[in-house]
Amino acid sequence: MSEDVTRHHGRAWTFGDNVPTDSITPTEYVMEPMETRLQHVLEDRNPDFPSKVEPGDIVVAGQHFGQSSGRAVAPKTLKATGIGCVVAESFARTFYRNGFEIGLPVLSCPGVLDLVSDGDIVSVGLASGVVSNETTGESLEGDPVDPFLLKMIEAGGLIAFAKRGIPGLEN
Amino acid sequence: MNVVEKILARASGRETVEPGEIVIADVDRDIFHDLSAHITSTVYEEQVDAPIIDPDRLAFVFDHTFSPPTEHAADILEHNRDFATKHDIKVFDSGNGNIHHTVVRNGLVEPGMVVVGSDSHTPVHGVLGTFATGIGNDSHAGLVWPYGKTWFPVPKTVKVELTGTPPLGTTARDVALMLTADIGEGGANSLALEFAGEFVDGLSFWDRWLLTLIAVDVGAQSTYVEPDDTTTTFCESAGIDTSRLVTNDEDVVYDDVWRYDVSDLEPQVACPPTVGNVKPVSEVAGTEVDFAEIGGHGGGRFEDVEALAEIIPDRGLDESLLLNLVPSSRAVFEEALEAGYVEALFAAGGTWYPPSTGSNQAVNMGAMTANQTMISNHARNFPGRNGSPEASMYLASALTIAATATTGRITDPREVIDG
Repeated sequence: MSEDVTRHHGRAWTFGDNVPTDSITPTEYVMEPMETRLQHVLEDRNPDFPSKVEPGDIVVAGQHFGQSSGRAVAPKTLKATGIGCVVAESFARTFYRNGFEIGLPVLSCPGVLDLVSDGDIVSVGLASGVVSNETTGESLEGDPVDPFLLKMIEAGGLIAFAKRGIPGLEN
Repeated sequence: MNVVEKILARASGRETVEPGEIVIADVDRDIFHDLSAHITSTVYEEQVDAPIIDPDRLAFVFDHTFSPPTEHAADILEHNRDFATKHDIKVFDSGNGNIHHTVVRNGLVEPGMVVVGSDSHTPVHGVLGTFATGIGNDSHAGLVWPYGKTWFPVPKTVKVELTGTPPLGTTARDVALMLTADIGEGGANSLALEFAGEFVDGLSFWDRWLLTLIAVDVGAQSTYVEPDDTTTTFCESAGIDTSRLVTNDEDVVYDDVWRYDVSDLEPQVACPPTVGNVKPVSEVAGTEVDFAEIGGHGGGRFEDVEALAEIIPDRGLDESLLLNLVPSSRAVFEEALEAGYVEALFAAGGTWYPPSTGSNQAVNMGAMTANQTMISNHARNFPGRNGSPEASMYLASALTIAATATTGRITDPREVIDG
């Protein structure tokens, strides 16, 4: 893989606090095929998001992003929009874990909603935890991603990581 | 070490573990409901080519769909059954009850176990002194099934110490609602929470369940109660093996201790749109309600049926309100039958639904139009789960639900138990 999947650069879409998986994938569509889920992803938070999100864009959100369901349907749907990563003030534990496992990088960065406005261009480094707003020139240091999780993202997710061999996994 | 650390050390083959490190640990029990079984088995079939080791660690409980309303839903259940037969996985089919109640009632969760599930409320099993947490589909399909293990960050542990005796009308569910609001959604992010103190010591097993149930909503990785006589007495009655039971070391050190005195706590209600939007019942009393329901991960216990049966038949069900009664397991329905509560609540106008997870999500029941309102003792009230995102879901104790069912408006339970 030539692209560095631990660094991202793109247009920010901002969302508030406590966005549940039920907004990312409403119950009505949660068992529907991906193309249907993509038509409704986050629509109750921003009706433009499903049609206007572009590959490489970055979702920036508030506290406890991705709470509610522990199933990985919501992060898989967000990943399928083509976004590069999600940065939030904090994440629901289940979403944070699922993000890395399915190959959607996430970065916890307290204060990021004060740093970034909707439409700004931002760059994100997972290993350093640094989020830079290229529109305003300001930056902020979030929580660097654990090396174990960086390796998981570099592998493309947990299943590919396991196939490469995780120490301690096979007796 | 504390309970969680001891379990993770044992499961990762180590003498000790430290908060903050990531361990690869054995999984003793892995549980799925119909939706997560379908998603996980699909991931497994598409991406994993190694056999499932020790499939007797797995259990499927079909709780979201108790009777498929569409061909698509029927296909999902049939896919799960075929997969389970092929891989020798135990199935509790539709009508058995809520996933978490069903596995406990069938003796599948033992103190000292590492329990994982795709359902985010899996940490509730810490009530038995387990390390229990929710993990995603790929973790199950890619690690737990082919290798019998997965990865866990060893959590920091905070002791939540509860003292005092709550006033009449305030129950363990009200304490749990207060804690969800006070700790805050995500306020215990990635921590283990130990519930302790004289209030917890005095609770029954099934009331303690309502405390460990809040893990996911405050962001905790796991929650637990240190096993005691209440735990072992329950295990004896349910035929649960206690040979792996562990307790805290004497010199255990907590990352923090959060203290609460519940002596003056009013009955609480979680209001739309989130589980943390909790208010004293007095602030929302009078809100008109279309549906009242007991059921789901937290409701549908025998204690909940009993609370309704002691109030509604005497006072009468409000005529404009529909009362949904959803036992959490077949055992609860049987106990309610023996106690005469099934007949009493039926005669009062309530409708019994099959043991299931009820309107937890509007998969098989519980969709509402934009202007409709439900009060329930489910675990969740987020928009998008029950039909229209404009619909309103209030969460409360069975006692508050009972009082509300007699008036059609959210009602302070102290008005019906004092009088």
